[in-house]
Amino acid sequence: MTSQVTTASAPVTPRPKKPAPSIPVIVGLVLAAVFTWWAGHSMGFSLRPLIENWSNGWVVIEQFLSPNWPFIWRVWDAWVETIAIAIVATFIGAGLGLLFSFMASRVTNRSGWLYRATRWFLSVLRSLPDIAYVLIFVALVGVGSLAGILALILFNIGIAAKLTSETIDAIDRGPLEAVDAAGSGTWSRARWAVLPQILPNYLSYFLYVFELNIRSSVVIGIAGGGGIGQVINVQFSRFAYENVSAIVVALFVVVLLIDQLSQYLRRRFV
Amino acid sequence: MIELKDVTVRYPNGVVGLDGVNLTIPDGEFVVVVGLSGAGKSTLIRTINGLVPVTSGSLLVDGMDVASASKKEMRAIRSKIGMIFQSFNLVKRTSVMNNVIMGQLHDIPSWRAMLGAWSKEEKEKGYQALERVGIVEKTWTRASELSGGQQQRVAIARALAQDPSVMLADEPVASLDPPTAQMVMKDLQRINRELNITTLVNLHFLDLARQFGDRVIGMRAGQVVFDGTGAEADDAVFEKIYGRSLTADDTLAEPA
Amino acid sequence: MSAVTKPAAASAAPTRPAEPSKAKATLTWIALVVIFGGAAWLSNAKWSEITDVFTEGWRYLGLMGEGLFQNPFTEPWSGYWTLAFERMMESVYMAWVGTMIGAVISIPFGFLAARNVARPVTVQITRAFLNLIRAIPELVFAIIIMLPVFGFGPVAGTVALGVGAVGTLGKLTAEALEGIDPGPVEAARASGAKGLPVLRWAYWSQVLPEVVAFWLYRFEVNIRASAVLGIIGAGGVGQLLGQLFGQREWEQIGITLAVVIVVTLIVDAISGAIRHRIIAGSGQHVSSKEKAEASL
Repeated sequence: MTSQVTTASAPVTPRPKKPAPSIPVIVGLVLAAVFTWWAGHSMGFSLRPLIENWSNGWVVIEQFLSPNWPFIWRVWDAWVETIAIAIVATFIGAGLGLLFSFMASRVTNRSGWLYRATRWFLSVLRSLPDIAYVLIFVALVGVGSLAGILALILFNIGIAAKLTSETIDAIDRGPLEAVDAAGSGTWSRARWAVLPQILPNYLSYFLYVFELNIRSSVVIGIAGGGGIGQVINVQFSRFAYENVSAIVVALFVVVLLIDQLSQYLRRRFV
Repeated sequence: MIELKDVTVRYPNGVVGLDGVNLTIPDGEFVVVVGLSGAGKSTLIRTINGLVPVTSGSLLVDGMDVASASKKEMRAIRSKIGMIFQSFNLVKRTSVMNNVIMGQLHDIPSWRAMLGAWSKEEKEKGYQALERVGIVEKTWTRASELSGGQQQRVAIARALAQDPSVMLADEPVASLDPPTAQMVMKDLQRINRELNITTLVNLHFLDLARQFGDRVIGMRAGQVVFDGTGAEADDAVFEKIYGRSLTADDTLAEPA
Repeated sequence: MSAVTKPAAASAAPTRPAEPSKAKATLTWIALVVIFGGAAWLSNAKWSEITDVFTEGWRYLGLMGEGLFQNPFTEPWSGYWTLAFERMMESVYMAWVGTMIGAVISIPFGFLAARNVARPVTVQITRAFLNLIRAIPELVFAIIIMLPVFGFGPVAGTVALGVGAVGTLGKLTAEALEGIDPGPVEAARASGAKGLPVLRWAYWSQVLPEVVAFWLYRFEVNIRASAVLGIIGAGGVGQLLGQLFGQREWEQIGITLAVVIVVTLIVDAISGAIRHRIIAGSGQHVSSKEKAEASL
């Protein structure tokens, strides 16, 4: 790298020594390198199969490159189911998330212990992956879209509450002071001094949660939560890759369309 | 009637906001509180409606003890005290009417407040308050679309909709241009006269203080250092309150 | 400000404006209720079975709790704890290595997708490619390409996570590059610096803290994503969970979930602390919205 500083004139004052690189940064980089090596080593990481077994992958990819388009329409009911699952879960999950976000912000929750309990509950909720919730609810209510909906609801509460409570923390405190000075109760205060301020952001998170739910549909279905993912799972276990590929391409289009739709709606909210 | 007996306020960081303040403000009086920033004007006003807790001493508003009130009693006391702020503190993303009704939230059942299902009487009160400050034509406009002076009048209407017996105003004209400031002060004075609402206004412009203050209270370092009529408060008195000679920044209007 | 009022004669003031119609709000609410109701019906969910959550739920929760409160130093409980911990660490390794792979690959793509670096045609093509990757779930990468090539096990999952991270990280890097202060770039160009050094010193050094923070955030996201990959046999704690739920080993499930929660919380806390330090040190700010984007 050419990083030399050109020195034109003779230095009059003694040149300062190059500052020593900061110790925490160096330690951090070394630790990161060691951890990377250790992680790769302990799982036997190697890219060699990429060269050796490429032909295995190519066979699958070839099948993928000739998708069975009509299959997309044959499973139209699964598409409807996927979108319906995502909608129901978003409404309930993001709705409850709003409630929890008020409890998880110091601005709106004046009870110390309830605030801490809510924060704790939400971080535990967020620490489990969506798949774990699907597995739990499949065990509880059986295979089907109900399990998928319930799992997504729990998953969505965590995300919506976190994003929204961060937004609440950052609102203008003036109106809060005003309604406090008028003797308003906790709920009215949250509804009128806080909600109008966070509404555009919240609606944006609402749409984001919906997008996330559509993307999760594959995972949900594979674990038994209904929708298009279930179809992928069945076709995959039959090695019907041409059907799987048609669905993946269609899912890609659906995700893009929903992305466009939510961008359009977001622009309208602001 | 507001009675402060030996009221001291010490903030958690050790700063003394009020230092042994004794004051009696009879019903219907228009009081202007002056002093440099940090002198305790703002603390005085915020202490009266309980936004700042009293450390020691006794503070009665209409016979109700603010210092020892429970949370519920405190909300009831606050609902009778209207407050106006320097930065208006309106919720900008909602209508003027909703903002005015926010003054009445204390008396509206939660479930109706959640839905925004205001009763006829509540809206009527809102209209009347807006009519009193002469801005009723903006009732259904979004607060964000109003000018600063209009926003402050909406804020006054919000306080009026509380049916207050006391009105507190913390530097209500500091963010406004001179003609608008005059107008807002006149609104406050007129409301005080018409409705006999005891009014306390923090100001740092001495000409406004003299013009509007039936009574002027001077504060310095948390203590009351002057208490007299607006006419008595001449330049010498203000220099004593401010602890320095006066400058052009201390008056709103250009010196004639 | 134009005066709008004659203060004294308030009672003779302008007439009250009519309350605006609430029809639009009402229609919106009706539409939302219809959408929700329609979706609840079309989802084919057997809503009546929701009672099982409460009846069965308590029983299973009790069983999971029993597993947690057994002495963890006796067999078979000690074995369960060790197995859960080993598999969870495998998930963390997968997430870390995958994120590193994705981070390294995403750097050139980030530059190629930044409007103030590359030519418009290049930007368009790169963005389309990054969006394509973003739209495909990691699970699909793993199924299509990684499992046939790498076989079952954590390596397949790791590579899938790496490829999946390229889309998001590339896009965020590009956006960070587009937001830089153009001053240093002009200064470097003005002094006759050539292409690559300008990219390294004028562009990259400006965005580095923000981009590293995104990497760490993606790492946190990937820990959860790696569990998902386990379910199709790509290693990690997800694979273990899949087996345990299949066998309904509730005591062991309780232990494993507890390990997942605790390890995730610890890793999140460490990674979050480092992110905050990096961002605070650089004076930049990552908004909630950007965080939301980082996990898409």
